[in-house]
Amino acid sequence: MTVTRLAAWLAVPARWYLAGVFVGACLHKIADPRSFALDIATYDILPLALINLIAITLPWIELGTGGMLFAGWRVRTASFLVAVMMAVFMLALLIALTRGLDMSCGCFASQGAEEEDPISSLTVLRDLVWFGLALFVFAFDRGRLGLDRWLQRRSA
Amino acid sequence: MAVAQITQPSRRPMPGSLRFLLETAAVTAVAVVIALLFNALRPAGLELIARTPYQILVPCPEPGGPVQIVQPDESWVLSARTFLVDARSPREFNLQHLPRAVNLPYDWLEPVPEDDILELAQSIAGSGANRVAVYGEGGRPDSGEHLGKEISGRGIKNVFFISGGAPAVLGSEEQ
Repeated sequence: MTVTRLAAWLAVPARWYLAGVFVGACLHKIADPRSFALDIATYDILPLALINLIAITLPWIELGTGGMLFAGWRVRTASFLVAVMMAVFMLALLIALTRGLDMSCGCFASQGAEEEDPISSLTVLRDLVWFGLALFVFAFDRGRLGLDRWLQRRSA
Repeated sequence: MAVAQITQPSRRPMPGSLRFLLETAAVTAVAVVIALLFNALRPAGLELIARTPYQILVPCPEPGGPVQIVQPDESWVLSARTFLVDARSPREFNLQHLPRAVNLPYDWLEPVPEDDILELAQSIAGSGANRVAVYGEGGRPDSGEHLGKEISGRGIKNVFFISGGAPAVLGSEEQ
């Protein structure tokens, strides 16, 4: 088995894992957009006019990309979007950490929730790993065990 | 006889990168439309543009030091070798407090003034106590725990926080 073939197989669990992360991350945001808007506002980066719009739309982009990664449909597009989102999240975290804000990440639970996720350099490291995984999937996924390959075979 | 060749204008395939970017934009656009529709249809939908700023309370980084938790019924809590600090407001302190306790109200927004820390350190040194036990109003979060961390972080040694705060410690004193 060549390295490329091995990487293509490894990309399958990687994209399923990323799918789980993103679907898991979006559920509380879709359920309670008001709390997510407060999370975004706490970072104190975006202007007020954009906060609600982002709070409403971002979780659905996360859900969409998560679903696409899970199904193996348009994987390059989905993994590219995931990488872009991870880069933006890391930038926001770095700004908050530089400002010395003692706050919850808001990634998997809202501020004030029981299972708080305080931001730290570990949070950035975690996002960096996910960013790397998204790039790995983008580069090496060949549609194995996914809709892309199945559709390709049907149309051939 | 010459036959004029009619050639169809050839359609050049779209470059892969452009197609990829269009696909990315399309996926994003579909997700945004679904999000906006879902928000418009749900009963507690969020207004698209917030009119009033969000009330954010992010505590500033405070110089927190080590604080150990002690139960109010611990025998040494009320001993003469324990310096007691009441973190509640002066009004609550005046209503009822432990004997020998000094009042150092904890301010959730401002750090304890440097003069107050110095005065506290001198009082502790003069009392001969070897421990400092802080209690607050017993809420969650508890001002006593926060004050304990703050004074510990600013140089006071051997600081304890009395679990349960004033309701627990005053109750156990009455017993």
